[in-house]
Amino acid sequence: MKIIEITGLTKYFGGLAAVSGIDITVNEGEVLGLIGPNGAGKSTLFNLITGVIQPTSGKVVFKGKDITGKRPHEIAELGIGRTFQLNPLFPNFTVLRNVISSFQIRPRSSLLDTFFNTPVYRRNEAYILEQSLEILKLVGLYKVKDELAKNQPHGYQKMLGVARALAIKPELLLLDEPIAGMNPDEIDNTIEAIKRTSKLGVTIILVEHNMKILEICNRVIVMNFGQKIVEGSPQEIKDNPEVIKAYLGSGHDTKY
Amino acid sequence: MGSMIAARGSTEYRKNLTQIIGYAVLICVLALIPLITKSSYILHIFILTLIYTIAAASMRFIITSGQIPLAHAAYMGLGAYISGVLSKNFGISPWLTLIIAAIAAMGLGIFISFPFARLKAFYYAIVSLFFGVGLLQAIESLGKLTGGLSGITAIPTLFNTTSKVPFYYLFLALTVVSLVILYRLEVSRIGWNLKAIEQSYLVSGSVGISEVKYRVLAVAVGCFFVGLAGGMYANYNVTVSPSSFDTTSTLWLVIYVTIGGMNNFSGPIIGTALLFLLPQYYRGLKQFTPFISAAILFAVVYMFRDGIVSIPGLIKAFYQRIKGNSTK
Amino acid sequence: MSEATILLVVASIVNALVLSSMYILLALGFTFLFNIMGILNFAHGVIYMIGAYICFFLATMVGVNQWVAMLIAVIIVGLFGIFMERFVFRPFLGNINLIIVVCIGIITVLQNAISIATPYNVQVTPAFVQGIFKVGIISISWERLVFFFIGLGLLILVLLFINKTKQGLQMRAVAQDMEGAVLQGINVHGVSALACVIACALAALAGSLMGSYLSLTPYMGSDIMIKVLEILVLGGIGSINGVLFAGLIVGTLDAVLPIMVSGTATQAIMMLVIIIILLFKPQGLFGKEVRA
Repeated sequence: MKIIEITGLTKYFGGLAAVSGIDITVNEGEVLGLIGPNGAGKSTLFNLITGVIQPTSGKVVFKGKDITGKRPHEIAELGIGRTFQLNPLFPNFTVLRNVISSFQIRPRSSLLDTFFNTPVYRRNEAYILEQSLEILKLVGLYKVKDELAKNQPHGYQKMLGVARALAIKPELLLLDEPIAGMNPDEIDNTIEAIKRTSKLGVTIILVEHNMKILEICNRVIVMNFGQKIVEGSPQEIKDNPEVIKAYLGSGHDTKY
Repeated sequence: MGSMIAARGSTEYRKNLTQIIGYAVLICVLALIPLITKSSYILHIFILTLIYTIAAASMRFIITSGQIPLAHAAYMGLGAYISGVLSKNFGISPWLTLIIAAIAAMGLGIFISFPFARLKAFYYAIVSLFFGVGLLQAIESLGKLTGGLSGITAIPTLFNTTSKVPFYYLFLALTVVSLVILYRLEVSRIGWNLKAIEQSYLVSGSVGISEVKYRVLAVAVGCFFVGLAGGMYANYNVTVSPSSFDTTSTLWLVIYVTIGGMNNFSGPIIGTALLFLLPQYYRGLKQFTPFISAAILFAVVYMFRDGIVSIPGLIKAFYQRIKGNSTK
Repeated sequence: MSEATILLVVASIVNALVLSSMYILLALGFTFLFNIMGILNFAHGVIYMIGAYICFFLATMVGVNQWVAMLIAVIIVGLFGIFMERFVFRPFLGNINLIIVVCIGIITVLQNAISIATPYNVQVTPAFVQGIFKVGIISISWERLVFFFIGLGLLILVLLFINKTKQGLQMRAVAQDMEGAVLQGINVHGVSALACVIACALAALAGSLMGSYLSLTPYMGSDIMIKVLEILVLGGIGSINGVLFAGLIVGTLDAVLPIMVSGTATQAIMMLVIIIILLFKPQGLFGKEVRA
């Protein structure tokens, strides 16, 4: 099943097209890699999908439903989760509170339940606490659960971002540079976590610079100047001269 | 309490228990005040402190969502005027007007804050400042109803007696109830969501927390209680005039919250109490009183940015550093 | 059109121009402080007021010529701006709450000091310029014309300063991106101090002139800041163009409306107009997209 279909998505900032005429289709369970040099429009694309910014034109259809231009919290409710490249968390909350606060959608306590501290609310909160601890164990952050998120090392913060995104039990997960700035151990852990999440049936689109991420993708799309340049399997992309040119400029050896 | 995650016997639980006991003691002490003193003036000061504590705490609730509502005193004025006009000109029971005042302030707050709920902090501050001025002028301009710049007098009060004691007890009860409600909200998911939005509206949106919904909710709750405070003021004070609810009044509410401690629920309580009760010790200085008050403001703000509530923590940290040095 | 109407219209226009230029000077200073330091200077009104009173005291008690008095007031208050940047603003950058507390502290001290020092009710600084300018049937007091041209002249000077001088360029750089400016070696503290000096000097100048044009009270700052607030909200906080445009609108309405409707109704109408515009553009006419 097509999880998400993007057609003709375009965004102009003033006279500059950050993203233009993007067509992407992702099937359920796929892991799609989105690579490209800085400024290629990858993060803008994420922001367009998740409603942080409004497209100039084009359409985004999720599970058959047009979600173009919906607000971010509505997108989250529909089942799309995301991480952020910079500032991916609530810095003044503890690690545990970060995850607990992310359990906004499933289960959802109504305002009335929350206000009157009903048994429904208390049951939901207990369940959420339990689930949060589970997630922290899953991503390996359980031991720092009571520490402030802003004091955590970079790698931990990124993992916390992933933990947060998983809390809404998304069907589609958008990962924005999940391994940027990590050391090799953290990278391996993260790639493992992504593989495990994919096995659970979550469709994943990830944006990265690092070519190492390609090994877990089913398909890779290369972007530059806001446009799709090439699309193919990881192997095809690795050997594609266009891609190499986009990253390194022309006149270079194909071996790198 | 609420959804606080504290296992029995943990230090967190014991801290909460100490706080609850502390507040219970405080309430008992406050309840005894009218029995200790016969001074009508002291009761008056305490009553004002109670009213403004509600106003300050309700303002802080809104601030936790990341927006500073600089129209807050104007909403108190709205509550005061509605309460006054309804009970004086329309003969409605003062008890009822209290509730109506609160609901009216809440309604207007929701209506006005909607288009501006996504504004960044600094812009929201200025726009809300503007709305505060506008609201007050709107009230003044309804001269026939509101007495214009001179305000309303001879408002029928809640109790038909010259004694302040029943007012004191009623307002003490109302304050306690209001603060309990505000506290429960703050430790619930709603309160945590507001703090989440304050830190990052992007991350909040990505987990399904609607920035607009929660900010409007914060304003609704905050305006409800400040409208109530306004109604209480009108019903006790018998007169209301616009100068009590101007921009300066709102800024003083901010001061009560900030001096006490912005990041702590008790902050507004301590700040209001300090800035109402302390000046009583130097009011003999007549026209020089404001200078002492200003000096207090400067002292606190330059020395204890996190407010008075942070002082115990600072002292403890200081002690620990000394102890650490002496064991070397 | 009858002669009386023409005179009324001309008088209103002149009044509008004078008021507009004064409001704009104040709003401009406030905007500088906001753009460069991210400060909402709640004490801007009392700075204006203090400038007015220093000029008044010098002109009446010390017997100095009004123009000299004004110059001295501008210099004193301008220097006070350096003090403010260092001790009032710099420690609390970015924190609205703390800024509010210090500003209220300053307001309290200054307003009460002036109240104690001037027990009489109405004070007016002696007129700066005497005489009437006559053209045909129209007569306008020279003072009004002079004030307007001073306001206009200063405005042009300030705009030139920002756009053409090195310091002005630095100010714009800091306003756009403080970190980038630091990396470029710009002394941000120096730029901020300069902005404070300019803002305070402009406020003091406007105050000195208005002390003669209107009158002086310890609360004149609060009164005029309401107008400045309207300009900022209407024009969009942080936008120079917004200040100019909205300043003109507010000044004009302020001068023209009281002729047609009562005083309080004037205010109400202005508020209403601004609110309606805000509903369509919450960030003001020229404001940047500030929706989070």
